[in-house]
Amino acid sequence: MPDIALKLEGIHKSFGGIHALKDVSFELSEGEVHALLGENGAGKSTLIKILTGVHKMDSGIIQVRGKTVTIEDPVDARHKGIGAIYQELSLVDSLTVAENIFLGHEPSTSFFGTVRKKELIRRAAEYLLSFGIKIDPNTLVGDLGLGQKRIVEIIKALSINANILLLDEPTTGMSRAEIDTLFEIMDDLKIKKVNMIYISHHLDEVFRVCDRATVLRDGQNAGTFEIDKVDLKTLVKSMLGRTLKEEFPVREGRSSEETLLGIKEFKTDKMLAPISFSLKKGEILGITGIIGSGKSELALGLFGADRALKGKISIGGREVRLNSPDDAKRHGISFIPEDRKEQGLFLRLNVEHNICVANIDLAIKNGIISSKKKSEIAKETSEKLKVRPLDIKMAVQNLSGGNQQKVVIGKWLCGEPDILILDEPTRGIDIGAKTEIYSLINYLADRGTGILIMSSEFREMSAICDRILVIRKGTIVAELEGKDSSTEQLLTLALGG
Amino acid sequence: MENKVEKNDRSAFVSKFLRLLKGELGLILILAALMVVFSLMSPYFFTSRNLLNITRQVSITLIVAIGMTFVILTGEIDLSVGSSAALVGVATAAVLNATGSIFLGLIAGLILGVGIGFANGALTVYGRVQSFIVTLAMMGIARGAALVWTGGKPISRLPVDFAIMGAGYLGPVPVSTIIAAGVFILAFFVLNRTKHGVYVKSIGANREAARLSAIPVRKYRVLAFVISGLMSALGGILITSKLLSAQPTAAEGLEMNVIAAVILGGASLSGGIGTVLGTLLGAMVIGVIDNGMNLVGVSSFFQQIVKGVIILVAVLAKRSD
Ligand SMILES: Nc1ncnc2c1ncn2[C@@H]1O[C@H](COP(=O)(O)OP(=O)(O)OP(=O)(O)O)[C@@H](O)[C@H]1O
Ligand SMILES: [Mg+2]
Repeated sequence: MPDIALKLEGIHKSFGGIHALKDVSFELSEGEVHALLGENGAGKSTLIKILTGVHKMDSGIIQVRGKTVTIEDPVDARHKGIGAIYQELSLVDSLTVAENIFLGHEPSTSFFGTVRKKELIRRAAEYLLSFGIKIDPNTLVGDLGLGQKRIVEIIKALSINANILLLDEPTTGMSRAEIDTLFEIMDDLKIKKVNMIYISHHLDEVFRVCDRATVLRDGQNAGTFEIDKVDLKTLVKSMLGRTLKEEFPVREGRSSEETLLGIKEFKTDKMLAPISFSLKKGEILGITGIIGSGKSELALGLFGADRALKGKISIGGREVRLNSPDDAKRHGISFIPEDRKEQGLFLRLNVEHNICVANIDLAIKNGIISSKKKSEIAKETSEKLKVRPLDIKMAVQNLSGGNQQKVVIGKWLCGEPDILILDEPTRGIDIGAKTEIYSLINYLADRGTGILIMSSEFREMSAICDRILVIRKGTIVAELEGKDSSTEQLLTLALGG
Repeated sequence: MENKVEKNDRSAFVSKFLRLLKGELGLILILAALMVVFSLMSPYFFTSRNLLNITRQVSITLIVAIGMTFVILTGEIDLSVGSSAALVGVATAAVLNATGSIFLGLIAGLILGVGIGFANGALTVYGRVQSFIVTLAMMGIARGAALVWTGGKPISRLPVDFAIMGAGYLGPVPVSTIIAAGVFILAFFVLNRTKHGVYVKSIGANREAARLSAIPVRKYRVLAFVISGLMSALGGILITSKLLSAQPTAAEGLEMNVIAAVILGGASLSGGIGTVLGTLLGAMVIGVIDNGMNLVGVSSFFQQIVKGVIILVAVLAKRSD
């Protein structure tokens, strides 16, 4: 029997009327990477936050190496050797990488209580180097990409010499190369006897790096499995409480021949190169490429969010000018951005507001909003997307990460747009809910909506798209039929092999 | 299964109640408690005459605070409201005296208020200067302009008819109370039942997300300052009307009472959260404290301390999770 690094017993936690964790037990053995799995809202992040003292549990026992402890707050957790990277980033954009890494536990202070800057940078550089990461510690965090920010977040968690490391969906927004780096870091940590809890909705990652998996369902234990002895199907069934028929629903309809959106030599101030392509009515067109290839810039450009420099956009054969998202919306374009926290959500406002804001006209008659209609729209959309809990008056910040993502999608879905642009739409969404979202995309396409999906998840792309464009350094380098493409092929094209 | 549904219903009810308590209901309780205390301490307090009197005293703060609510909802601040009110008062009186027309005086005052608001908004939004700085500067400019214009002396000898707005009564009800009630209803309607309200809250809650939700962000940001300017103008006109004299030093410190009312009403200085009903209750709490302490005979020096403490306690109580 291996030694137990961390043991949780009978953990309960409620938020107001929501019982997020019910009698949850969990065990982390010395030297293991233990996956924590479950649907959106199952209680994974809540458990992590209890371990770091962000939330107080209502009842239960936490034992660290056999000793019962109480964790007061994140500083206390740090003293007990528990480090975490949270689902939502907690870095300060206006500080440098080095400053962020040591925020709150600066290595040494001078006589006047000021931080010794040189020492800080030297130590940060050391850390980055020891993990083989090429980021200058003097860079402002705001200038980094999402994947790099995650790496910095991890280094920050490690800088406290954590013995127990909690990783909540760490690969969100990371490129393949960055994920590989992360896994190398994790292998390295394992040798250094750091124990890890790993949360992810990407089960392939779980099979790659984890030893065991504990599944939560509706805030309760639904089973613990040895990764060697379990298959994907069993895990998914345990998570959802049912078998998942097909991950990717088959589309019944097909795209028409009518061109809906034509882009010619179009370029904005943020795009790397001019781009031309067209989108047909009812077509699901994927644009894929590695992170940083210029997908998001293209999406923002087509939505009028950046300044257009050259080129032509035509919709239904008529040339249009899109100077603002407002213009784009008037021409029937909807856009679901990639970064839910920064670009998508009004976190402190309720679900109803978030869903209705972009299509508030649907609830307006003679200039007056009908509250009834508004809540109907919000309810119907949240039901369609299976937002849990189904309480449209709840502030979005109190939803789980995946449920927040569903709300971002809901914001534009309720308008039944002519053209829908989605940038990494399934980020943080569990495997069951993903299927629902693919079905909704299919439904819209069958209705005639032209769909443009930007994603770096090659498997998803080849499964759901009619046609795929591969983009590299801002330029389209290949065009494939969705059903003819394979993950490996897309990866090779995207990397430029 | 059935059992579970019922439980969910109950938990939804509990969270709904907690939400209410943290919002307006909490303020109503505070207001009620204050009124009980003052009623016990002074027999005169809980008379219809005094209560109407409170509404009259509160009306100007409330009107300006409603304008401020729009600005604070977008995540900005307007420090120039007191000075603008004074300058508008002076301008209204000057035009009134020059033309002999109350109507022209009012129009001139309101237009000036809109102009000041527009300048604040345009400089903040298009000039990309923080509204704190822009309106701090405007606070100085407007006050200075009022002083220079009048040479520091009040403009008096205004026609008596002009006093109706600020000092008149319709039956037992003060006219300024009626005006404030009208403004409140209009603002309540705009914020809760029109697109404008949805947009304003969105902009304050997350400006980038608002832009990407196809909201014309700049337009509505400028508009918020314009509304604040207009409301300050109305406040300035009421003050002038009440005193039947335009004082260049009027409404000094008004911005503090107004911001206190809005924050007390539950608005967040970082934007996105706040209601005019909250602002109304916030203004009432301040009004009741002022009035009650006067009746009870608390020294005016001491009153300021008590008021400050009550505001702090109220804000803290509403914040506790
Ligand atoms: N601060 C909060 N206030 C109210 N409810 C909360 C709060 N934080 C979490 N919850 C609720 O607790 C439940 C569990 O949420 P949690 O974030 O732990 O889910 P999760 O398993 O991490 O899901 P995801 O995969 O979507 O990230 C959800 O129903 C969520 O709405
Ligand atoms: Mg989570």
